[in-house]
Amino acid sequence: MDALTSLFLLVDGLTNGAVYTLVGLSLVLVYTTTRVVNIAQGEFVAFGALTFATFMEGRLAPVIYVVAITGAVCLVLDVVRARRQHHNPWRLATIYVLAAVVLAVLTWLALATGWLVLQMVATLALVAALGPIIYRLTVEPKPDNPIIVLVIISIGVSLIMHPLALLLWGADPIPVEAISDQWFDVGGVDVAAQSLFIMGFSLLAAIALFLFFNYTLTGKALRAASINRSGAQYCGIPVIMAGRLSFFLAAALSAASGMLLAPLVTAHYEMGFVVGLKGFVGAATGGLVDYPLAVLGVFLVGIFESFASFLSSSYRDAVVFALVIPIMIWRNARAGADLDNLD
Amino acid sequence: MNKFGLSFCAASLAALCLAQSAQAAEQRPEFVVGVVNSVTGGASAIAAGAVSTFDLLEDRYAKDDTLPFKVRFINYDDGSDPAKSVNTVRKLIQEDGAHLVICCTTTPASLAVNPVVDEARTPNLSLASAASVIDPAAEHPFTFKAPLTDRLMIAYTIDYMLDKGYKNVAFMGLDDSYGEGGWVEFKNIAADKGLNIVADERFARGDTNFTPQALKVSREKPDAVYFHAIPPSSALATAALRRVGYQGPIFHGAGTPTPSFIAVGKKAVEGAIVGATPFTVREQLPADYPLRPVIEAFVTSYDAKYGPGKVDMFSAQANDTMLVAIEALKLATQAGVDANDLPAARVAVRDALENVKDLKGVNGIYTFSPDNHLGIDERSTLLVEVEDGQFKLLAD
Repeated sequence: MDALTSLFLLVDGLTNGAVYTLVGLSLVLVYTTTRVVNIAQGEFVAFGALTFATFMEGRLAPVIYVVAITGAVCLVLDVVRARRQHHNPWRLATIYVLAAVVLAVLTWLALATGWLVLQMVATLALVAALGPIIYRLTVEPKPDNPIIVLVIISIGVSLIMHPLALLLWGADPIPVEAISDQWFDVGGVDVAAQSLFIMGFSLLAAIALFLFFNYTLTGKALRAASINRSGAQYCGIPVIMAGRLSFFLAAALSAASGMLLAPLVTAHYEMGFVVGLKGFVGAATGGLVDYPLAVLGVFLVGIFESFASFLSSSYRDAVVFALVIPIMIWRNARAGADLDNLD
Repeated sequence: MNKFGLSFCAASLAALCLAQSAQAAEQRPEFVVGVVNSVTGGASAIAAGAVSTFDLLEDRYAKDDTLPFKVRFINYDDGSDPAKSVNTVRKLIQEDGAHLVICCTTTPASLAVNPVVDEARTPNLSLASAASVIDPAAEHPFTFKAPLTDRLMIAYTIDYMLDKGYKNVAFMGLDDSYGEGGWVEFKNIAADKGLNIVADERFARGDTNFTPQALKVSREKPDAVYFHAIPPSSALATAALRRVGYQGPIFHGAGTPTPSFIAVGKKAVEGAIVGATPFTVREQLPADYPLRPVIEAFVTSYDAKYGPGKVDMFSAQANDTMLVAIEALKLATQAGVDANDLPAARVAVRDALENVKDLKGVNGIYTFSPDNHLGIDERSTLLVEVEDGQFKLLAD
């Protein structure tokens, strides 16, 4: 392996890492606030990319029907619960209607104006709305479920979302125009401007999340909600809202990742799952709780994958996923006996 | 005879004729055809086109009074699970009394069903792509298939490569059963014909990056590169190969010639040579191409039911499978089969399948024989080249 090849692989690995970053961060975000290891996180990447691609084609993204129907189900469930607890259901209904109006207006604007920025915002809003809906339908009914049950639930969500994307958008890949078609020459290696966008956005998101969770009251409240549910509730933190908010943010981040990734690999229904799994391996480096370590982890995974694909392409995924084992051993050694106390 | 008597005679004659034709209609033997598709589950994307086609054709044939027989279809879903395919086929044979089975969408399921149909002596038409489902015919006496095999297409492509004087080639394929099937055939045929493989690399459908594999291939400096994959990954991997500086010829398997290949690959796939069936390049066929009328009729009726642009190569394969089935039932009827004597009728339909000759489908011309259960042959394999964003037939 000569120097140029190594450099090529390294740059490629960094691009890979940037792609996985946002999903890795979403996973950490969801886990730290709700204890859900969200296997379905990658599907939001596919939904984001596909929704964006249909908007760019000037068509109505079919995801809006899913949001409308599942949103209506959530509304009914919430109203029933509110009545049982003798709360005022009208306040709830107003919030739902408001959200529906905002989504409808955004979608209409995206279609009517055809502006790229509006299309991006509408895509983010629509796909992100799926986050709290899924949280409401799968996690909220029994929030005290053990972690393993939550994992299995998220696998179920993934098994539903994957074919749903196939049903809504079909099997054909949809090409997406890049924000910029330029390629840069970095020491003999050409890098797509799109890759740099992805890298920049990923790092920004990582820093923003890190600051949000460590230095703002809302961020700290979200963390508290995951560390000790009852304790947080006694301190006046609305735990349910915390879960919905984190699912919303995580879905938005993953959808953004999908929109940025689509120009490089087209939008198709199969694109999300593997990205989600590799983001998971990266996030595992940070024990699913540490943002800076998770970012380091995904870049490690990206570079590892790049070299593994070069050396033995048939086993590259096996090599990448086997990385989880040394990561676990390392984390165990570092954490010592503390890990045994977690459930 | 007065006027009244004449008309009475005519009327009674007409009535007699009617009665006789009605009786003839009732005397048409009734065949039961069981269809098993992966309507749901992992293979549903592949089965979707076939399911739509069967819907369309079953409607037509079940109502068709001009056929010399009646046909009743029974449809099942195997959920993309080979174990369920086996159970479903058993049910079709034992409970539903099927004369002919059409199963299954995928190669693993078809292989699992093979011993079942052999044991029950009931003919089966598989929709799978791998040659191992039917070859050798002596070991699978009751299994037939119409879709083109990888083996046929790859052999044709390798012949072309050798013609052009390429000696060292590289293989890039998907890391799933489709790519693996292609790799096994490519490796064996290349060894038989004396083509040297200098690199074999894999990628996945959901991959976001193909550069490392492309670098590896490009470093081996092959005379040509063969891809066995489907879009978008086949187009993206081609683009990656061009990006790392490979200039030589690029070949693709028969999974690639779809509009999305060009839409995704754009400039990078210009000049790529792609294995194709007449159906996939129907717009580029010469006006006097023998299969044109069949293709046009199928596409028109498909578009009329499902809207334009929906037809794909899986619907084409399903169409041909159904044509072969109907032709075999026709031949069996002509041979005077008694549809009520199930074991004998099944064997008769099987024998009829081996006698289907020169049947024009949308993918090719089918001729079966006791040692050829594939039907389709090299007359139906084509190579096309991407030129100005279009698939153009390659002149030999």
